[in-house]
Amino acid sequence: MTGSYAELFFLIFFGVAAIWFGIVVFRTHSMVRSALALLFSQTAIGAMFLVMQAEFLGVLQIMMMATEMSVMALFMVMFMMDPGGMGAMDMSHQKRLSLRAGGIGLIAALAVSWLPDWGPVANSIPDASRQVELLGIELLGRSMFVFESAGLTILTSMIAATMVAIAPRKIGEDT
Amino acid sequence: MNVAIIILTLSIGAYFIAIIEGWAMHGRISISRPALSALALFGRESLLARTPDRLFFESGPILLLVVGILSMAVIPLAPGLIITDLATGALFLNAALAYVLVALIMAGWGPNGGYAMIGGWRFLGQFIAYAMLIVMPITAVAMRAESLSTTIIVTSQSELWNIFYQPIGFVLFVLAAMALAWLPPLDLPNAPSDLAGGFEAEYTGARLAVLRLARMVIILAMAGAIVTFYLGGWLGPWLPAWLWSVIKMLVVTTLMLTTGRLVPRVRESDLLAAGWKLGIPLALANIFLVGVIALVVDI
Repeated sequence: MTGSYAELFFLIFFGVAAIWFGIVVFRTHSMVRSALALLFSQTAIGAMFLVMQAEFLGVLQIMMMATEMSVMALFMVMFMMDPGGMGAMDMSHQKRLSLRAGGIGLIAALAVSWLPDWGPVANSIPDASRQVELLGIELLGRSMFVFESAGLTILTSMIAATMVAIAPRKIGEDT
Repeated sequence: MNVAIIILTLSIGAYFIAIIEGWAMHGRISISRPALSALALFGRESLLARTPDRLFFESGPILLLVVGILSMAVIPLAPGLIITDLATGALFLNAALAYVLVALIMAGWGPNGGYAMIGGWRFLGQFIAYAMLIVMPITAVAMRAESLSTTIIVTSQSELWNIFYQPIGFVLFVLAAMALAWLPPLDLPNAPSDLAGGFEAEYTGARLAVLRLARMVIILAMAGAIVTFYLGGWLGPWLPAWLWSVIKMLVVTTLMLTTGRLVPRVRESDLLAAGWKLGIPLALANIFLVGVIALVVDI
């Protein structure tokens, strides 16, 4: 095990913060508060990456989530009937189903973390600039196909979603 | 020590920006006006809107200020004169600046006012227009330097500044930086003439002072980013390194604050159309060109 007690402390601290903000998402009534609580939950995960000395991944996580969650906040405000939470709308529904799904998810996560043999823990961590280089080589080498197909899938679904959202109209009709 | 020097530079720079902005707005240079108006703001009552989202209302301006200071942390003023020389400095700058959006949405949503809310969401639209034009030119800069560290990016320009090496990227980045700091003609979120101050409308007193100060710091950070990425940072003959950084940053801020006022405010839809139909193809072309040049020419 590399790393000090301070590292462990901050890892636990940000982990608890991530979970706590995750709970806040469902405890608040305001859509914007809910979206931004999810943002800060994800930011805490980014901070966990930073504690684990994965600088690039941490900064990337913190950067990406700011945009994504802000856009999500906009959509939540647009589509929900009570975006300000003034009418004390309940954010939780289908409680039994969610409990079961959450329980299965928890068991799956614990099984994945405990059951497989993860191999020996790395003795030394490459410095941050080397990590960026290694990540780049990985992305353009072994993992290229996976990432390219994921990118293509996302692009396709974005175009499809836009097409579905456009209201159909007859040819020659004025808008 | 570095932190103290950079905070001092930051304060002087922010004050200078306030003077220049006053000059651009009122046509007269007054050294004392920013200090007097700051004093006046602190003397005024800090009003609270009815049924606000108090948490967002209070934390929005503070988050904005923190973001500005964090983004200054990776701007080098001279060799060694930097708060933290991260290996992912250029990406860190992006990450910090993404939270400008979050802070403005919080400040817009918080006070429970129509103008403020429209201002906050307008900035989200503006962000979607300019965000790629911040990231893609930085990618090209990092490609030349073969590093994300801001100090290595500066030293990579010792032969030729990036403004000459990748002029398309420079133009796009400056425009995107002006959109990020909501400078005229891209001041859509506060738009004094059609949104009555936008997200600033409900802020008064000390809270407004923090909001204005944060914006000065962000303008300064963007000028620092332009100087670091395109104008060779501290590089220059005769004068000491830190003085070159300061001179370049002051010239860039002055140009950013004054020239934009000569054109009318851009419409949100026009900004989005220009950003995506013209800006992103140009930014991609810039990345391609820089890639080819970096492979062929050895500078």
